[in-house]
Amino acid sequence: MAANWFSAPAPVARRVRAYFAPVNRAAQTPVLFDPAEQGRFNLEAPPAPWIDLGWIRGFKRTPKSKTSPVLAGIPAGTLEQVRETLEAQVSFQFLSWTKLTMALATGSQHMNLMAPASGSSAAADGAQAVPAVTPQSGSSAIFIALAATDAASFAPGSIVALDVDYTGQTGFVGAPVAGAYVRQALTDADYIRRVTFNVGLVSQVNSTGITLAEPLPGGIPAADAKLQAVTGFVDREGGSFYQEWSALFVMEGSQGERIFFYYPRLQTMTGAEEEAVPLDEKHEAGHSRVLLKGQFLALPVTDPLDGEHVLCYRSFLPASMALV
Amino acid sequence: MQNAKDSFYMALRARLATINPERTILLRGTVRPGILVEEAEAPFNQPPTDIFILRWLGLGVDMDLGSAMVAEECEIAYQTCGTQSYGGLDRGRALSEMDEELVAMLKPFHTPKLNYTATPPAAMLTQVFWDEPAFGPIAIQRDRLSRSAKVMVYSYQEQGE
Repeated sequence: MAANWFSAPAPVARRVRAYFAPVNRAAQTPVLFDPAEQGRFNLEAPPAPWIDLGWIRGFKRTPKSKTSPVLAGIPAGTLEQVRETLEAQVSFQFLSWTKLTMALATGSQHMNLMAPASGSSAAADGAQAVPAVTPQSGSSAIFIALAATDAASFAPGSIVALDVDYTGQTGFVGAPVAGAYVRQALTDADYIRRVTFNVGLVSQVNSTGITLAEPLPGGIPAADAKLQAVTGFVDREGGSFYQEWSALFVMEGSQGERIFFYYPRLQTMTGAEEEAVPLDEKHEAGHSRVLLKGQFLALPVTDPLDGEHVLCYRSFLPASMALV
Repeated sequence: MQNAKDSFYMALRARLATINPERTILLRGTVRPGILVEEAEAPFNQPPTDIFILRWLGLGVDMDLGSAMVAEECEIAYQTCGTQSYGGLDRGRALSEMDEELVAMLKPFHTPKLNYTATPPAAMLTQVFWDEPAFGPIAIQRDRLSRSAKVMVYSYQEQGE
Protein backbone atom coordinates (compact mmCIF):
# COMPACT_ATOMS: atom_id res chain seq x y z
CA MET A 1 0.00 0.00 0.00
CA ALA A 2 1.32 3.45 -0.91
CA ALA A 3 0.22 6.96 -0.15
CA ASN A 4 0.90 10.35 -1.62
CA TRP A 5 2.64 13.03 0.36
CA PHE A 6 3.33 16.71 0.11
CA SER A 7 6.16 19.05 0.96
CA ALA A 8 4.86 21.23 3.78
CA PRO A 9 5.99 24.86 3.93
CA ALA A 10 6.36 26.73 7.23
CA PRO A 11 3.23 26.46 9.37
CA VAL A 12 0.66 29.20 8.96
CA ALA A 13 -1.07 29.97 12.23
CA ARG A 14 -3.23 32.88 13.25
CA ARG A 15 -3.42 32.65 16.99
CA VAL A 16 -2.12 30.97 20.12
CA ARG A 17 -4.09 29.16 22.78
CA ALA A 18 -2.94 28.93 26.38
CA TYR A 19 -3.55 26.28 29.01
CA PHE A 20 -2.83 26.25 32.71
CA ALA A 21 -2.05 23.50 35.18
CA PRO A 22 -1.15 23.93 38.85
CA VAL A 23 2.38 23.36 40.09
CA ASN A 24 2.71 21.63 43.44
CA ARG A 25 4.60 24.45 45.05
CA ALA A 26 5.68 22.61 48.17
CA ALA A 27 7.22 19.78 46.14
CA GLN A 28 8.09 21.98 43.14
CA THR A 29 6.40 19.41 40.95
CA PRO A 30 5.00 20.63 37.66
CA VAL A 31 2.27 18.98 35.60
CA LEU A 32 3.57 16.96 32.68
CA PHE A 33 2.46 17.38 29.10
CA ASP A 34 3.31 14.54 26.75
CA PRO A 35 2.86 15.70 23.14
CA ALA A 36 3.13 12.13 21.85
CA GLU A 37 0.28 10.88 23.99
CA GLN A 38 -1.81 14.02 24.36
CA GLY A 39 -0.84 16.20 21.39
CA ARG A 40 -4.00 15.69 19.35
CA PHE A 41 -6.36 16.76 22.13
CA ASN A 42 -9.45 18.83 21.35
CA LEU A 43 -8.34 22.44 21.88
CA GLU A 44 -11.70 23.16 23.52
CA ALA A 45 -11.33 20.30 26.02
CA PRO A 46 -7.73 19.89 27.22
CA PRO A 47 -6.72 16.73 29.09
CA ALA A 48 -6.99 16.95 32.89
CA PRO A 49 -5.66 18.73 34.86
CA TRP A 50 -4.99 21.33 32.16
CA ILE A 51 -7.40 24.28 32.19
CA ASP A 52 -8.17 26.31 29.10
CA LEU A 53 -7.20 30.00 29.33
CA GLY A 54 -8.53 30.82 25.86
CA TRP A 55 -6.79 32.51 22.96
CA ILE A 56 -4.04 34.95 23.79
CA ARG A 57 -2.36 37.67 21.75
CA GLY A 58 1.11 39.09 21.49
CA PHE A 59 2.73 35.74 22.40
CA LYS A 60 6.48 36.27 22.47
CA ARG A 61 9.26 33.96 23.63
CA THR A 62 12.55 35.54 24.57
CA PRO A 63 15.53 33.30 25.25
CA LYS A 64 17.86 34.94 27.75
CA SER A 65 20.34 32.17 28.35
CA LYS A 66 23.94 33.24 28.02
CA THR A 67 26.71 31.23 26.50
CA SER A 68 30.44 31.80 26.61
CA PRO A 69 33.19 30.50 24.39
CA VAL A 70 35.99 28.37 25.80
CA LEU A 71 39.04 29.76 24.07
CA ALA A 72 42.25 27.94 23.25
CA GLY A 73 45.35 28.58 21.21
CA ILE A 74 47.32 31.65 20.18
CA PRO A 75 45.62 33.59 18.79
CA ALA A 76 42.65 32.30 20.80
CA GLY A 77 39.92 30.50 18.95
CA THR A 78 36.66 29.07 20.24
CA LEU A 79 37.18 25.50 21.25
CA GLU A 80 33.82 24.90 22.87
CA GLN A 81 30.79 26.77 24.07
CA VAL A 82 29.44 26.56 27.58
CA ARG A 83 26.06 27.68 28.83
CA GLU A 84 26.65 30.19 31.60
CA THR A 85 23.07 30.97 32.58
CA LEU A 86 19.74 29.43 31.84
CA GLU A 87 16.89 31.90 31.42
CA ALA A 88 13.87 32.37 29.20
CA GLN A 89 10.94 34.75 29.29
CA VAL A 90 7.46 34.66 27.81
CA SER A 91 5.11 37.57 27.38
CA PHE A 92 1.57 37.88 26.03
CA GLN A 93 -1.82 39.38 26.75
CA PHE A 94 -4.85 37.51 28.00
CA LEU A 95 -8.08 38.17 26.10
CA SER A 96 -10.30 37.56 29.11
CA TRP A 97 -10.50 38.59 32.75
CA THR A 98 -11.13 35.57 34.92
CA LYS A 99 -9.92 34.52 38.34
CA LEU A 100 -7.19 32.49 36.71
CA THR A 101 -5.99 34.96 34.09
CA MET A 102 -5.99 37.84 36.56
CA ALA A 103 -4.03 35.81 39.07
CA LEU A 104 -1.48 34.58 36.55
CA ALA A 105 -0.90 38.04 35.15
CA THR A 106 -0.24 39.61 38.52
CA GLY A 107 3.00 39.34 40.42
CA SER A 108 1.46 38.76 43.80
CA GLN A 109 -1.35 37.03 45.68
CA HIS A 110 -4.66 37.26 43.90
CA MET A 111 -7.54 37.39 46.35
CA ASN A 112 -11.24 36.82 46.29
CA LEU A 113 -13.35 39.68 47.63
CA MET A 114 -15.54 37.86 50.08
CA ALA A 115 -19.13 39.01 50.55
CA PRO A 116 -18.91 41.29 53.60
CA ALA A 117 -20.66 40.56 56.85
CA SER A 118 -23.24 43.12 57.87
CA GLY A 119 -21.64 46.01 59.71
CA SER A 120 -18.06 44.88 59.16
CA SER A 121 -15.45 47.59 58.90
CA ALA A 122 -14.01 48.37 55.47
CA ALA A 123 -10.70 46.90 54.26
CA ALA A 124 -8.85 47.41 50.96
CA ASP A 125 -8.82 43.71 50.21
CA GLY A 126 -12.30 42.98 51.48
CA ALA A 127 -14.00 43.34 54.82
CA GLN A 128 -14.71 40.57 57.30
CA ALA A 129 -16.72 37.99 55.42
CA VAL A 130 -20.13 36.50 55.89
CA PRO A 131 -19.54 33.22 57.81
CA ALA A 132 -18.81 30.19 55.64
CA VAL A 133 -21.28 27.33 55.27
CA THR A 134 -20.44 23.63 55.27
CA PRO A 135 -21.21 21.46 52.25
CA GLN A 136 -23.12 18.26 52.90
CA SER A 137 -22.23 14.77 51.77
CA GLY A 138 -23.17 14.07 48.17
CA SER A 139 -21.37 17.12 46.78
CA SER A 140 -19.48 16.91 43.51
CA ALA A 141 -17.27 19.24 41.49
CA ILE A 142 -20.33 20.88 39.99
CA PHE A 143 -23.01 20.43 42.66
CA ILE A 144 -22.52 21.54 46.24
CA ALA A 145 -25.03 19.94 48.58
CA LEU A 146 -26.15 22.34 51.31
CA ALA A 147 -28.68 22.56 54.08
CA ALA A 148 -31.80 24.34 52.82
CA THR A 149 -31.18 27.41 54.96
CA ASP A 150 -27.61 27.67 53.68
CA ALA A 151 -28.66 27.17 50.05
CA ALA A 152 -31.16 30.00 50.40
CA SER A 153 -28.34 32.43 51.04
CA PHE A 154 -27.06 31.99 47.46
CA ALA A 155 -28.70 32.98 44.18
CA PRO A 156 -28.03 32.16 40.54
CA GLY A 157 -25.25 34.49 39.45
CA SER A 158 -23.45 34.35 42.80
CA ILE A 159 -19.74 33.57 42.78
CA VAL A 160 -18.53 31.15 45.44
CA ALA A 161 -15.17 30.10 46.86
CA LEU A 162 -14.71 26.69 48.41
CA ASP A 163 -11.72 25.70 50.51
CA VAL A 164 -10.73 24.78 54.04
CA ASP A 165 -10.57 27.07 57.07
CA TYR A 166 -7.26 28.69 57.85
CA THR A 167 -6.06 27.26 61.15
CA GLY A 168 -2.70 28.93 61.68
CA GLN A 169 -0.56 26.90 59.26
CA THR A 170 2.40 28.42 57.44
CA GLY A 171 3.74 27.67 53.98
CA PHE A 172 1.81 27.33 50.74
CA VAL A 173 -1.97 27.41 51.16
CA GLY A 174 -4.88 26.85 48.78
CA ALA A 175 -5.96 23.83 46.74
CA PRO A 176 -5.59 22.73 43.99
CA VAL A 177 -3.51 25.82 43.26
CA ALA A 178 -1.31 27.40 45.92
CA GLY A 179 -2.74 30.89 46.23
CA ALA A 180 -0.28 32.30 48.76
CA TYR A 181 2.69 31.54 50.95
CA VAL A 182 2.05 32.27 54.64
CA ARG A 183 5.26 33.22 56.43
CA GLN A 184 3.77 33.72 59.86
CA ALA A 185 0.48 32.63 61.36
CA LEU A 186 -2.54 34.82 60.59
CA THR A 187 -5.81 35.27 62.43
CA ASP A 188 -8.32 35.31 59.55
CA ALA A 189 -10.12 31.94 59.40
CA ASP A 190 -11.25 32.79 55.87
CA TYR A 191 -7.72 33.50 54.58
CA ILE A 192 -7.44 30.36 52.46
CA ARG A 193 -10.81 31.02 50.85
CA ARG A 194 -9.60 34.56 50.15
CA VAL A 195 -6.68 33.27 48.09
CA THR A 196 -8.11 30.02 46.74
CA PHE A 197 -8.49 29.41 43.01
CA ASN A 198 -11.33 27.01 43.75
CA VAL A 199 -14.11 29.38 42.69
CA GLY A 200 -17.19 29.01 40.53
CA LEU A 201 -20.34 30.69 39.29
CA VAL A 202 -23.69 29.54 40.67
CA SER A 203 -26.10 28.68 37.86
CA GLN A 204 -28.94 27.17 39.84
CA VAL A 205 -30.13 27.03 43.44
CA ASN A 206 -32.62 24.73 45.07
CA SER A 207 -33.34 23.54 48.59
CA THR A 208 -30.75 20.75 48.35
CA GLY A 209 -27.82 22.87 47.24
CA ILE A 210 -26.26 24.89 44.43
CA THR A 211 -25.26 23.91 40.90
CA LEU A 212 -22.26 25.58 39.32
CA ALA A 213 -21.90 26.68 35.72
CA GLU A 214 -18.55 24.85 35.44
CA PRO A 215 -16.87 22.23 37.64
CA LEU A 216 -14.67 23.53 40.43
CA PRO A 217 -10.96 23.40 39.53
CA GLY A 218 -10.38 21.43 42.73
CA GLY A 219 -12.90 18.74 41.87
CA ILE A 220 -15.00 17.12 44.58
CA PRO A 221 -14.92 19.29 47.74
CA ALA A 222 -12.65 18.11 50.52
CA ALA A 223 -14.42 16.86 53.62
CA ASP A 224 -13.46 19.90 55.68
CA ALA A 225 -13.96 22.51 52.94
CA LYS A 226 -16.39 25.37 53.44
CA LEU A 227 -18.23 27.65 51.07
CA GLN A 228 -18.44 31.44 50.97
CA ALA A 229 -19.87 34.00 48.60
CA VAL A 230 -17.45 36.13 46.58
CA THR A 231 -18.24 39.54 45.11
CA GLY A 232 -15.13 40.00 42.94
CA PHE A 233 -11.36 39.86 42.97
CA VAL A 234 -8.49 42.04 44.14
CA ASP A 235 -4.74 41.97 43.75
CA ARG A 236 -2.01 44.24 45.02
CA GLU A 237 1.09 45.83 43.62
CA GLY A 238 3.77 44.57 45.95
CA GLY A 239 4.00 41.60 48.23
CA SER A 240 6.43 38.73 48.14
CA PHE A 241 4.49 35.90 46.52
CA TYR A 242 5.01 34.82 42.92
CA GLN A 243 2.36 32.85 41.10
CA GLU A 244 3.74 29.73 39.44
CA TRP A 245 2.09 27.45 36.91
CA SER A 246 2.73 24.85 34.30
CA ALA A 247 1.97 26.44 30.96
CA LEU A 248 1.16 25.03 27.58
CA PHE A 249 0.83 27.15 24.46
CA VAL A 250 -0.48 25.73 21.22
CA MET A 251 -0.30 27.06 17.68
CA GLU A 252 -2.41 25.14 15.21
CA GLY A 253 -1.35 25.48 11.60
CA SER A 254 -3.58 25.69 8.57
CA GLN A 255 -2.80 22.08 7.60
CA GLY A 256 -3.53 20.62 11.02
CA GLU A 257 0.07 20.68 12.21
CA ARG A 258 0.61 21.73 15.82
CA ILE A 259 3.40 23.53 17.61
CA PHE A 260 3.49 23.19 21.39
CA PHE A 261 5.47 25.23 23.87
CA TYR A 262 5.42 23.49 27.21
CA TYR A 263 6.86 25.39 30.15
CA PRO A 264 6.84 23.10 33.21
CA ARG A 265 7.36 26.05 35.58
CA LEU A 266 6.45 29.61 34.75
CA GLN A 267 6.45 32.46 37.27
CA THR A 268 5.05 35.94 36.90
CA MET A 269 7.91 38.42 36.82
CA THR A 270 6.11 41.79 36.75
CA GLY A 271 3.33 43.52 38.62
CA ALA A 272 -0.22 43.82 37.35
CA GLU A 273 -0.35 45.70 34.06
CA GLU A 274 -3.03 46.33 31.47
CA GLU A 275 -3.03 47.36 27.84
CA ALA A 276 -5.94 49.16 26.19
CA VAL A 277 -6.44 48.18 22.56
CA PRO A 278 -9.01 50.18 20.53
CA LEU A 279 -11.83 48.04 19.19
CA ASP A 280 -11.86 50.13 16.05
CA GLU A 281 -8.37 51.07 14.87
CA LYS A 282 -9.81 53.97 12.88
CA HIS A 283 -11.48 55.33 15.98
CA GLU A 284 -8.84 55.36 18.67
CA ALA A 285 -10.91 57.55 20.99
CA GLY A 286 -13.68 54.97 21.02
CA HIS A 287 -14.07 51.79 23.01
CA SER A 288 -10.92 49.94 23.95
CA ARG A 289 -10.51 46.38 25.08
CA VAL A 290 -8.51 46.20 28.30
CA LEU A 291 -6.12 43.28 28.11
CA LEU A 292 -4.19 41.76 30.98
CA LYS A 293 -0.50 41.88 30.20
CA GLY A 294 1.66 39.10 31.50
CA GLN A 295 5.40 38.64 31.51
CA PHE A 296 6.75 35.39 32.82
CA LEU A 297 10.04 33.84 33.77
CA ALA A 298 10.62 30.17 33.02
CA LEU A 299 12.17 28.15 35.83
CA PRO A 300 14.22 25.04 35.13
CA VAL A 301 13.30 21.44 35.70
CA THR A 302 15.50 18.39 35.45
CA ASP A 303 14.57 16.16 32.55
CA PRO A 304 14.62 12.59 33.86
CA LEU A 305 15.57 11.37 30.40
CA ASP A 306 19.15 12.58 30.67
CA GLY A 307 19.37 14.81 33.73
CA GLU A 308 19.61 18.04 31.73
CA HIS A 309 18.18 21.27 33.16
CA VAL A 310 15.60 22.71 30.79
CA LEU A 311 13.14 25.59 30.74
CA CYS A 312 10.81 24.76 27.88
CA TYR A 313 9.92 21.96 25.51
CA ARG A 314 8.98 22.90 21.95
CA SER A 315 7.19 20.09 20.12
CA PHE A 316 5.97 19.87 16.56
CA LEU A 317 3.34 17.46 15.28
CA PRO A 318 3.50 17.63 11.48
CA ALA A 319 0.46 17.73 9.23
CA SER A 320 -0.77 14.42 7.97
CA MET A 321 1.30 13.12 5.02
CA ALA A 322 3.67 16.08 5.14
CA LEU A 323 7.28 15.28 4.34
CA VAL A 324 9.53 15.52 7.36
CA MET B 1 -26.49 39.57 15.51
CA GLN B 2 -30.11 40.40 14.77
CA ASN B 3 -30.88 40.68 18.47
CA ALA B 4 -28.19 43.34 18.82
CA LYS B 5 -29.53 45.27 15.82
CA ASP B 6 -33.08 45.07 17.15
CA SER B 7 -32.01 46.12 20.64
CA PHE B 8 -30.04 49.09 19.33
CA TYR B 9 -32.95 50.29 17.23
CA MET B 10 -35.52 49.82 19.99
CA ALA B 11 -33.31 51.64 22.49
CA LEU B 12 -32.95 54.62 20.18
CA ARG B 13 -36.64 54.59 19.38
CA ALA B 14 -37.64 54.59 23.06
CA ARG B 15 -35.15 57.36 23.82
CA LEU B 16 -36.36 59.48 20.91
CA ALA B 17 -39.94 59.18 22.15
CA THR B 18 -38.78 60.76 25.40
CA ILE B 19 -36.38 63.33 23.96
CA ASN B 20 -38.81 64.67 21.34
CA PRO B 21 -42.25 63.07 21.46
CA GLU B 22 -43.34 65.25 18.58
CA ARG B 23 -40.91 63.71 16.14
CA THR B 24 -43.14 61.01 14.71
CA ILE B 25 -43.93 59.32 11.42
CA LEU B 26 -47.15 57.86 10.09
CA LEU B 27 -46.12 54.46 8.79
CA ARG B 28 -48.50 51.74 7.63
CA GLY B 29 -51.36 53.55 9.34
CA THR B 30 -49.59 53.86 12.68
CA VAL B 31 -48.02 56.90 14.27
CA ARG B 32 -44.58 55.89 15.60
CA PRO B 33 -41.48 57.65 16.88
CA GLY B 34 -39.64 59.18 13.95
CA ILE B 35 -36.99 56.54 13.49
CA LEU B 36 -36.99 53.46 11.28
CA VAL B 37 -34.71 50.73 9.99
CA GLU B 38 -34.38 50.99 6.25
CA GLU B 39 -34.02 47.24 5.64
CA ALA B 40 -37.23 46.56 7.57
CA GLU B 41 -39.46 48.88 5.51
CA ALA B 42 -40.61 48.98 1.89
CA PRO B 43 -38.10 50.76 -0.35
CA PHE B 44 -38.78 54.47 -0.78
CA ASN B 45 -37.89 56.61 -3.78
CA GLN B 46 -37.15 59.67 -1.71
CA PRO B 47 -36.15 59.20 1.94
CA PRO B 48 -38.71 60.81 4.25
CA THR B 49 -37.63 64.02 5.93
CA ASP B 50 -37.46 64.88 9.62
CA ILE B 51 -36.99 61.31 10.78
CA PHE B 52 -33.95 59.14 11.47
CA ILE B 53 -33.19 56.26 9.13
CA LEU B 54 -30.96 53.44 10.36
CA ARG B 55 -28.95 51.64 7.70
CA TRP B 56 -26.74 48.65 8.59
CA LEU B 57 -23.46 48.57 6.69
CA GLY B 58 -20.21 46.84 7.69
CA LEU B 59 -19.82 43.74 9.80
CA GLY B 60 -16.85 42.31 11.69
CA VAL B 61 -16.50 39.37 14.03
CA ASP B 62 -13.72 38.75 16.57
CA MET B 63 -13.78 35.04 17.21
CA ASP B 64 -10.69 34.86 19.45
CA LEU B 65 -12.66 35.72 22.56
CA GLY B 66 -14.55 33.47 24.94
CA SER B 67 -17.73 34.91 23.43
CA ALA B 68 -17.42 36.10 19.83
CA MET B 69 -17.66 39.88 19.56
CA VAL B 70 -19.64 41.27 16.66
CA ALA B 71 -19.12 44.82 15.40
CA GLU B 72 -21.81 46.21 13.11
CA GLU B 73 -21.56 49.59 11.49
CA CYS B 74 -24.78 51.55 11.55
CA GLU B 75 -25.34 54.66 9.46
CA ILE B 76 -28.01 56.96 10.79
CA ALA B 77 -29.21 59.28 8.04
CA TYR B 78 -31.58 62.21 8.41
CA GLN B 79 -32.69 65.13 6.35
CA THR B 80 -34.94 68.14 6.57
CA CYS B 81 -36.37 70.92 4.46
CA GLY B 82 -37.27 73.00 7.48
CA THR B 83 -40.87 73.89 8.27
CA GLN B 84 -43.53 75.25 5.95
CA SER B 85 -44.45 77.96 8.40
CA TYR B 86 -41.00 79.48 7.95
CA GLY B 87 -40.83 78.72 4.25
CA GLY B 88 -37.92 76.35 4.85
CA LEU B 89 -35.70 79.15 6.12
CA ASP B 90 -35.28 77.26 9.40
CA ARG B 91 -33.84 74.15 7.74
CA GLY B 92 -30.40 74.75 9.28
CA ARG B 93 -31.94 74.99 12.72
CA ALA B 94 -34.05 71.91 12.09
CA LEU B 95 -30.97 69.92 11.12
CA SER B 96 -29.10 71.13 14.22
CA GLU B 97 -32.04 70.01 16.31
CA MET B 98 -31.81 66.54 14.78
CA ASP B 99 -28.03 66.50 15.38
CA GLU B 100 -28.66 67.21 19.05
CA GLU B 101 -31.42 64.64 19.28
CA LEU B 102 -29.16 61.99 17.78
CA VAL B 103 -26.39 62.75 20.26
CA ALA B 104 -28.91 62.56 23.10
CA MET B 105 -30.41 59.31 21.77
CA LEU B 106 -27.03 57.62 21.75
CA LYS B 107 -26.42 58.31 25.45
CA PRO B 108 -25.83 56.19 27.43
CA PHE B 109 -23.73 54.21 25.00
CA HIS B 110 -25.23 50.86 25.89
CA THR B 111 -28.52 49.05 26.24
CA PRO B 112 -29.54 45.58 27.43
CA LYS B 113 -29.72 42.97 24.67
CA LEU B 114 -33.22 41.62 24.20
CA ASN B 115 -34.66 38.97 21.94
CA TYR B 116 -37.56 40.69 20.17
CA THR B 117 -38.75 37.53 18.45
CA ALA B 118 -40.23 36.53 21.82
CA THR B 119 -43.40 38.10 23.22
CA PRO B 120 -42.81 39.88 25.48
CA PRO B 121 -39.18 40.50 24.47
CA ALA B 122 -36.82 38.26 26.44
CA ALA B 123 -33.88 39.77 28.30
CA MET B 124 -30.54 38.25 27.35
CA LEU B 125 -27.33 38.17 29.39
CA THR B 126 -25.20 40.86 27.80
CA GLN B 127 -25.30 44.51 26.84
CA VAL B 128 -25.14 46.02 23.38
CA PHE B 129 -22.74 48.97 23.35
CA TRP B 130 -21.45 51.48 20.84
CA ASP B 131 -18.92 54.20 20.14
CA GLU B 132 -19.47 57.91 19.78
CA PRO B 133 -21.00 58.84 16.41
CA ALA B 134 -18.79 60.00 13.56
CA PHE B 135 -20.79 62.75 11.85
CA GLY B 136 -20.46 63.37 8.14
CA PRO B 137 -20.70 66.77 6.47
CA ILE B 138 -24.00 68.34 5.53
CA ALA B 139 -25.16 67.49 2.01
CA ILE B 140 -27.29 70.10 0.26
CA GLN B 141 -29.76 69.24 -2.45
CA ARG B 142 -31.81 72.32 -3.33
CA ASP B 143 -33.74 73.10 -0.15
CA ARG B 144 -32.99 69.76 1.45
CA LEU B 145 -30.23 69.44 4.05
CA SER B 146 -29.08 65.99 4.97
CA ARG B 147 -26.45 64.42 7.15
CA SER B 148 -25.49 60.99 8.31
CA ALA B 149 -23.57 59.71 11.29
CA LYS B 150 -21.85 56.36 11.59
CA VAL B 151 -21.85 54.38 14.81
CA MET B 152 -20.02 51.11 15.47
CA VAL B 153 -22.31 48.87 17.48
CA TYR B 154 -20.74 46.02 19.45
CA SER B 155 -22.28 42.94 21.00
CA TYR B 156 -21.31 39.51 22.22
CA GLN B 157 -22.81 36.42 20.68
CA GLU B 158 -24.65 34.44 23.31
CA GLN B 159 -25.47 30.75 23.42
CA GLY B 160 -28.17 29.91 20.92
CA GLU B 161 -27.58 32.94 18.72
